[in-house]
Amino acid sequence: MAGEQYLDTGWFGMLVTLLLAVFILVNIRRAKGGKDLFIRRIAGLNAIDEAIGRATEMGRPVLMVPGLSDTVNAIAVQAINIFAYVSRIAARFANPILICCYNAAVYTLAQEVIRDVYQQEGLADRYDQDSVRFVSDRQFAFAAGVSGLILREQTAATFFMGEFYAESLIFAETANSIGSIQVASSTEATQTPFFIAACDYVLIGDEFYAASAYLTRQPVLVGSLIGQDWGKMMIMVLLTLGTIVNSFTLTREVTSEKVDGVFNTIPARKAKLDDSPFNQLIKPSKPKITVERPIDPTKAAPAAGGGN
Amino acid sequence: MLAQVEVPTFWSEPYNSPALWTKLVVALLIGLAVLVGLMYAPVRARRPIVAVVTFFSGLYWVMLYAWPIPINRQDNQLPNGPVEAVGFWLKDSNSVIVSFTQILTALLFGLGIYSLLRIHLQRIVKTQRDWGFSVVLLACMSLMVFFGYADWNSRLGERGAMLDNPANWGFVNFGRDFLFEGLLQQMDAAMFSVIAFYILSAAYRAFRVRSVEATILLGTALIVILSLMGAVSGLWDDTIRSAANGNTFILNFQLTTIADWIRNTFQTSSLRGISFGVGIGLLAMGLRIWLSLERTGGSA
Repeated sequence: MAGEQYLDTGWFGMLVTLLLAVFILVNIRRAKGGKDLFIRRIAGLNAIDEAIGRATEMGRPVLMVPGLSDTVNAIAVQAINIFAYVSRIAARFANPILICCYNAAVYTLAQEVIRDVYQQEGLADRYDQDSVRFVSDRQFAFAAGVSGLILREQTAATFFMGEFYAESLIFAETANSIGSIQVASSTEATQTPFFIAACDYVLIGDEFYAASAYLTRQPVLVGSLIGQDWGKMMIMVLLTLGTIVNSFTLTREVTSEKVDGVFNTIPARKAKLDDSPFNQLIKPSKPKITVERPIDPTKAAPAAGGGN
Repeated sequence: MLAQVEVPTFWSEPYNSPALWTKLVVALLIGLAVLVGLMYAPVRARRPIVAVVTFFSGLYWVMLYAWPIPINRQDNQLPNGPVEAVGFWLKDSNSVIVSFTQILTALLFGLGIYSLLRIHLQRIVKTQRDWGFSVVLLACMSLMVFFGYADWNSRLGERGAMLDNPANWGFVNFGRDFLFEGLLQQMDAAMFSVIAFYILSAAYRAFRVRSVEATILLGTALIVILSLMGAVSGLWDDTIRSAANGNTFILNFQLTTIADWIRNTFQTSSLRGISFGVGIGLLAMGLRIWLSLERTGGSA
């Protein structure tokens, strides 16, 4: 988007983003108004209670890793939201927990949230300050540290949720080697197959974001989830339309093409995908614009080619 | 920090100028007011304060994405009208606002180090199980901090350029090189290489014929793996080509063609489908956090 004037060219992307936001906000309002909204069953989330129950029976801890986010972003917050639910159930059963953090900011947030969870449950005395730990902010040092903890503590249930990269399989296989039940989810599409191969239950794609709505049934979260589904339906309609329009375009001949935002007449040729009106809507050809501006006398003239 | 920005912008003022000091004092007062507000405000009022701060912090990034960005801007140009003036301000502010995040991260890193020290010192003092590992961890951490800092310090000033040549290195430079390049990087590589064995064991479990789905997975994986093995795919494809004798339908049964079809038709479309879902989920999550609709750790 940087450097583009979307009002002239890329307005379609802005419109879709705006519509998605409107869908989400409208549905949050509907859910808050008491509208009963349906969420389908997600096997991986049903397994959470089973995993914690198993850990309680075995008297071993539950280990959670909120991914390798470099800072507190939406993914890390969502992972901690899911872990708050897990910790709540574990607290009720007096089951020990371990949360291993890769990033110090995520560690601070996780510590506050988990402490709040124990306080809300009236079990503040059961909260162990060391249950939320900062391990390392180097990828493989973190992987080694967490694997060591899994082996030493013999965790009965492990939850890997958030941003994972090459270390995902190290975690999953180490936990598998000690017979720990594993529930995992990665927002990185490249790591999801590894989790599917190695873990017992996996939340795929946006199921990760659906988790807190499914577990807590808070109207805001449920409404937001339905809004997301509306957004997906809109994208499906756009994909279908795009397929039809592009297929139709490819059967035709064109006598003009758009270059730098201007249609030029050309000798007749077979249409390409770039000639499709749908492609031009999504990937607009940018017009070459020169803008004259007043010069600030207090600032030096830039070196040649120094524009932004 | 404000004085270090090279091109004069809203965020930069000449060194030691009254304008710079005024901005510093105002920024400090606003920060203190927010902190004091959070500390002394009644519990019920804290949420709105956090919500307001979150909203304005997020508003900057939303505007950076949505506001028209000035085209072909030169550093010595003035904006044409208020729309461009906002665009100029948003762009100039980016590097400064990003550094706010870095300052916060550095502060929180200290808390992380505190957590590590507390857990491991406690374990050593109480000689709890595996306390020896804690000694190793703390010793390594202290050594790395010492050599890392001393090496960085030795490279300051004119002498820094000389240290690009290892012949001029001293004890601390060799120490840092041994610990970082000699040990840490090698151990990182060792951990990474372990993944190869884990892939094998995970694949063995995943590709067993347990159900219809697992069998399809096994077959698909086998085709893709074999297509990447030059000897097998070359032999098979040559056989198909000679058997086809110009029949384009039979040519479709080349191993590489089938594997390409699997990748382009199933894999790419599936990954894009997942990416759409993740993207929309991320947008919804961001929207809820920005508008403080999300209650972190919400009750079950």
